[in-house]
Amino acid sequence: MIRLHHVYKRFAQGDEAIEALSDVSLEIAQGECVVLRGASGSGKSTLLSLIAGLAQPSSGEIRVLDREISKLPEHLSALFRRAHIGFIFQKFHLIPGLNVEENVIAPLIPANLPLHVLQEKARAKMEALCIASKAKRDVRRLSGGEQQRVAIARALINDPVLILADEPTANLDAKLSTELIEHLYMLKQSGVTLLIATHDPLFFDLAFVDRIIELKNGRIV
Amino acid sequence: MLANVNVLLLDYALGSLKRQGGKSVFILIVLSLLIFLLASVLMIADAIKLELNTTLKTLPQITLQRFVAGKQTNVSLSRVDTILAFNGVERVMPRVWGYYYFKPAGVNFSIVGVDAYEEPYKKRLSELTRTFDLLTLEKEGGMIVGEGVKNVLQENYYSDFFNFITPKGERYPLKIAGVFHSDIALESNDLMLVPKQAAYAIFGMSPEEATDIVVHVNNPVEIPTIVQKITERYPDLRAITQDDLRISYQNIFDYKSGFFLSLFIVCVFAFFIVIYDKASALSSEERREIGILKALGWRMSDIVHVKFYESFVMAFSAFITGFCAALFFVYVLQAPLLRSVFIGYSELKPPFRLPFSVDVKMIVLLFFLSVPVYIAATLIPAWKAACLDADEVMR
Amino acid sequence: MSLTPEIIALLLLDAVFLFFGGIAFVLSARIAWRWRSHETTELQYALHRQSYLVSVIINYIFMLKIPLFAFFIYTCDKLSSIITGAMCASGVVNSVDFGLYLTLFKIVNLYVFGFWLLLNDADMNEEKLPFTRLKFVLFMLFFIPLFAEIGLEIGFFTSLNVSKIVSCCGTLFSAASTSSISLLFSVDEKIWMMIFYGCFALSVAAYGSRSPLASVVSNLLLALFALIALILFFSPYVYELPTHHCPFCLLQKEYFYVGYLLYALLFAGTFYAAAGGVLDLVQKRYTKRFYNLSLFFNTLYVIGISLYPLSYYLRNGVWL
Ligand SMILES: Nc1ncnc2c1ncn2[C@@H]1O[C@H](COP(=O)(O)OP(=O)(O)OP(=O)(O)O)[C@@H](O)[C@H]1O
Ligand SMILES: [Mg+2]
Repeated sequence: MIRLHHVYKRFAQGDEAIEALSDVSLEIAQGECVVLRGASGSGKSTLLSLIAGLAQPSSGEIRVLDREISKLPEHLSALFRRAHIGFIFQKFHLIPGLNVEENVIAPLIPANLPLHVLQEKARAKMEALCIASKAKRDVRRLSGGEQQRVAIARALINDPVLILADEPTANLDAKLSTELIEHLYMLKQSGVTLLIATHDPLFFDLAFVDRIIELKNGRIV
Repeated sequence: MLANVNVLLLDYALGSLKRQGGKSVFILIVLSLLIFLLASVLMIADAIKLELNTTLKTLPQITLQRFVAGKQTNVSLSRVDTILAFNGVERVMPRVWGYYYFKPAGVNFSIVGVDAYEEPYKKRLSELTRTFDLLTLEKEGGMIVGEGVKNVLQENYYSDFFNFITPKGERYPLKIAGVFHSDIALESNDLMLVPKQAAYAIFGMSPEEATDIVVHVNNPVEIPTIVQKITERYPDLRAITQDDLRISYQNIFDYKSGFFLSLFIVCVFAFFIVIYDKASALSSEERREIGILKALGWRMSDIVHVKFYESFVMAFSAFITGFCAALFFVYVLQAPLLRSVFIGYSELKPPFRLPFSVDVKMIVLLFFLSVPVYIAATLIPAWKAACLDADEVMR
Repeated sequence: MSLTPEIIALLLLDAVFLFFGGIAFVLSARIAWRWRSHETTELQYALHRQSYLVSVIINYIFMLKIPLFAFFIYTCDKLSSIITGAMCASGVVNSVDFGLYLTLFKIVNLYVFGFWLLLNDADMNEEKLPFTRLKFVLFMLFFIPLFAEIGLEIGFFTSLNVSKIVSCCGTLFSAASTSSISLLFSVDEKIWMMIFYGCFALSVAAYGSRSPLASVVSNLLLALFALIALILFFSPYVYELPTHHCPFCLLQKEYFYVGYLLYALLFAGTFYAAAGGVLDLVQKRYTKRFYNLSLFFNTLYVIGISLYPLSYYLRNGVWL
């Protein structure tokens, strides 16, 4: 499913270069649930954006679903994300001013599908996450937990086979965190591959997590 | 790329414009104002052109003026018969007319001499003279004046007659026998129709002369050949044809609106820079939104599309607003302030309505002058926005 | 020089095109020079984004060029009422020595930039972006006719002299004309008509043979001979005057602006087959959609233009 082969990522910062990732190689199988742990600044987010094709590695090769995503031109990697990947961000990152439904269908707006098809898709996801009753509400007027669920619904709208979650519990209290973990568990049950970057200890002894990969200063330990 | 419209994307663009609020409103107002100004100028120019063309149609086919030392002077009446003998010439009429300066009001009246036994050289004049009895006019020493003239005279306490002063310093009184109303007022508001012999007296002209000569021909196609024959016979005569007048008027008005357009282009340039600046300056929310969308699977072209729709909607609604406002301003309010630029300030000229003349051509022209230019200004900012790094939202 | 509002609008947009075309040209040169399709450096990434800007610019220019071409002809038509002797756009176009070349450049540019956009689409659909270098080298070449067109247009409007007396289309498009057009008149117009229908038959045959090369050739021939046949054979039927051969007058109101429709059909039909065919030759494949569209538009054109002599014959019982 995902294969990284000697991946490096450097950022030029003035004169010196920061090596955010160095010599990362790993393989994740279909349906696996992998937790990526590491201290702040260890390169977790960087690794996720490389896998999603949001940035290119400085060297090395990344294959996702047997496509070499690190070599895809920008517009094709975007199409790839739209087709196969769901994203849950650190800070929800909903679009303020849009209502719940509009936020949920946002990834598929450019796909040129009829509106009713999108609305049906969104309804299904929103019902599964118990936010269907709030469909027309502006996301700014939702509680933290509700926003969290909108973000998950949005990540699922394209029926992805791979979900990338970047510190999904960073802004949640204990109760919401457990709720989120339940959602992730259900996703895992449905056969989706999960890659969760976090330093929240809650994740480290979950039964459904297949593997924990630890990053330290950009290296796998 | 821009060929098939994605309705949802368009809808997204509309929402995004709404969310930008103040910025959109500001641009919309400025853009509408520019288009309004431009549309008004073009409409006034077109309306006046139409008015002039209507007037021009009533003008003589050929007017012959005599020039001596570069100045126009009177023509001897003996030439009339010679010209009438040319092949193709239908009618030849000597005219006596000129301007009379009325000092107390500081205005010029146009005086035209009419003769009961001559067919007037203008259709419009013949309409006027038909309603008044020219023979009695001649006998009783009367004249017919335009409404504007009547008003000016009345203000100066001449309510039933007027004393002309001849070049010799004598008084020449004429009764105001009638007043005519004019629908096409550009030319006839300041007009005084007086008997021919009165005109000779007022101007102090010799009765063997005329101010100029008007020629009618049977077949308009022959006008150039006849003009050539006449000017070969009388080299001091200059011929002005209807076509010459039409072209020179058209040139003047194209020139005037061209001048305005050149000013407008300076405005456009300034506006271009303002828009470029506004469109480039993205708030941190907008940057974040674009980052999120790209991470969610929007391509650069999707972002550019949204931006394109935004500017198109913006430009198009400004175009409609400005155009409608101009329609109202020019044809309902009769373009206060602006029209005087095109007509000049003469006291007696103004009161006429701008005839309605809006065609597809003008709409297309206005469209090309506004919408593509606005879109051009937002092209590079849109691309820059689409280039924002998506992985910024990961931090 | 006469600055009518229409001319100012055209010149203003020319300036915009020149500005953006210049940017696109500089970027193209950079991309053509430094593009390495197998590398994934920051530079290649930046170049890819710039190449996208170029395509946005060209899209913009092309989308405007199509309606502006009609607007240009319309403006010339309008000017013909000011310029002595001109009865329609052709007199105005020909009042300046290079007017005809200007029109030709405009037409060529439509084909050329339309082709570029097709090539761009094909390039962007492939993972390896195989044509990126090709397309920017081509753009740099295509920039020359674009530049020439804009230059000629500016020259055209500045040297337009309203007081000069020009010939009308009646003399320009006749055997008496001094230009090369008169040569065409030495051949019987029925022959041109037959060549035109022959070319159309050829393009249909090419469609049947599924060969891109045959489609390109037959459609280019069709475009050329359709124009000649229009001038020599069909136009008198449109005007119902045996001696009137002008290809511009049919853009006028008296003929219900039918020219705009006919030329658009002819352009769309020949464009899809010619440009699409060249693209297929480059990519070594066969895209049925292009040829379907081409056949559709070409057929509409042929039917449309054939209706004129047919209806004339049916009403009057004779050929002109
Ligand atoms: N665009 C960038 N430019 C320069 N340096 C960057 C950039 N993005 C990340 N870095 C650096 O790369 C390193 C890894 O960053 P990354 O965001 O992946 O950390 P992280 O593990 O996600 O941390 P956190 O838990 O705080 O989110 C950091 O030292 C960071 O400063
Ligand atoms: Mg992080």
